[in-house]
Amino acid sequence: MKTLAPVAIAFISGIILVVSFFFNESTTFVGGLSEEILVWVTIVGGFTLLLGVVSITRVNLAAVRARKENWVYRLITLISIFAMAIPSVFPSSWSPLFGRQTGSIYDWLFVTMDMPMMATMFATLSFYIASAAYRAFRARNAEATLLLVTAVLVMLWRVPIGEAFLNLFPGHIPQLINEYVMNGVNLAVQRGIIIGAALGAAAMSLRIILGIERTYMGRG
Amino acid sequence: MNIWERMEKIDRRWIYLLVAIAVIIPFIIPVRFPVSVTPETKDIYDYIQAMPDSSVVILSFDYYPSTLAETQPMAIAAMNQFFRKDMKVITLSNIPLGGPSLAELVTREVAKEYHKVYGIDYVNLGYKANYVAVLKGMGTSIESIFPTDNSGTPLKDLPLMHKVKNYSDVKFIFDIADNATADYWVSIVNAGYGVPMAVGATAVMAPKLYAYVGAKQIVGLLGGMKGAAEYEILLNKRASAFRGMDVQSLVHFLIIALVILGNVGYFAGRRYRRKAGL
Repeated sequence: MKTLAPVAIAFISGIILVVSFFFNESTTFVGGLSEEILVWVTIVGGFTLLLGVVSITRVNLAAVRARKENWVYRLITLISIFAMAIPSVFPSSWSPLFGRQTGSIYDWLFVTMDMPMMATMFATLSFYIASAAYRAFRARNAEATLLLVTAVLVMLWRVPIGEAFLNLFPGHIPQLINEYVMNGVNLAVQRGIIIGAALGAAAMSLRIILGIERTYMGRG
Repeated sequence: MNIWERMEKIDRRWIYLLVAIAVIIPFIIPVRFPVSVTPETKDIYDYIQAMPDSSVVILSFDYYPSTLAETQPMAIAAMNQFFRKDMKVITLSNIPLGGPSLAELVTREVAKEYHKVYGIDYVNLGYKANYVAVLKGMGTSIESIFPTDNSGTPLKDLPLMHKVKNYSDVKFIFDIADNATADYWVSIVNAGYGVPMAVGATAVMAPKLYAYVGAKQIVGLLGGMKGAAEYEILLNKRASAFRGMDVQSLVHFLIIALVILGNVGYFAGRRYRRKAGL
């Protein structure tokens, strides 16, 4: 039953959604059924988020109680989660500090702490990228040289001063990069990757619908 | 260690210091290099300009706060163009971390400038989990997926939503994304329901999205901060992306200089070692 029920749900839901693609969504029974399933999916999705909160709380709370290594950071994680979550779930009609609107606790924490911290973390990547580019970009062979030259040209093209520099040379180099590198070679390669990934996703979906692929249940 | 080896093996801390200087200097001494506009950006601007005034559009905030520097200017610029044309804007987010709050922040700020009223001129639907189901479900009924807006007001209490039931009432979709949601907007909404759309994406994501531009699945593409700066120029409202181009210019040049330096050190060092019989 533990295996049969998820496989049956996946099969029925999958088939309905595939079949509904060929029917009018608002006027047919199959269309209505698929609409209902999609609403269920968003509800289940909401519960998975809740499951995530429960899981992270259980794991970290146990570590804090046992005073495991770095337990202070785990405590900060827990405090952060609930400091943002609790005031945001209460309705703003109770107090302007509740809810998620401008002026609420959630909003204040998000704007003054979450946003700058995340932006800072991402910004530090520029330091690592500069260091990594310096170390890794070596024209060791023909392929690496091609990659290096293309990367340098695109980097120049994507900034105004670089574009001005490229325009010092004859032949409208910036336009050529846009036309032949980005809308030419790059486009062709990306299209191949997208088509390949889409075929892979279709094959995987079919395997799940037919019950061949069962790893999503936590077993093979 | 000879000079070539030194060039090849600069301590990473010096590189970090140089990057920091390259980032800080343009803020102290702004240069404001001229920015040219690529066809991908111009196409978006022209398409929106050609749309009838008061059209209903969707602006999706599918980016995390980490990529604010690149994506937020795009969202602000798009809101400016929409409100200048008196368009009705529906915002939503397919990412849980911050998307709805960012939408709230941007829309309220720009709306104030144009004296737009919440519920009549714009609505923030917020976030719902599982974006594939959300994007598909909105094709039949937006209200079934988002019974309330971001602050819990039922959609039936928002006048704008009285005339918007599903994608057939939406004339254009602008997705600002730093992740794969842009692909789903294209493959589910554009392909399935035929709604014209454009994408604003981070510079890392942009190359992939050229495939959709080439296939005319999106009318145009804003790629990274440069794309946002181009859009600001077209709107004649130079803001943070345009200012950021000075920083990006200098850092790009620094990286190119470091790559050249590393390669000169590599080849000269190899020749030196060969000559010395090492």
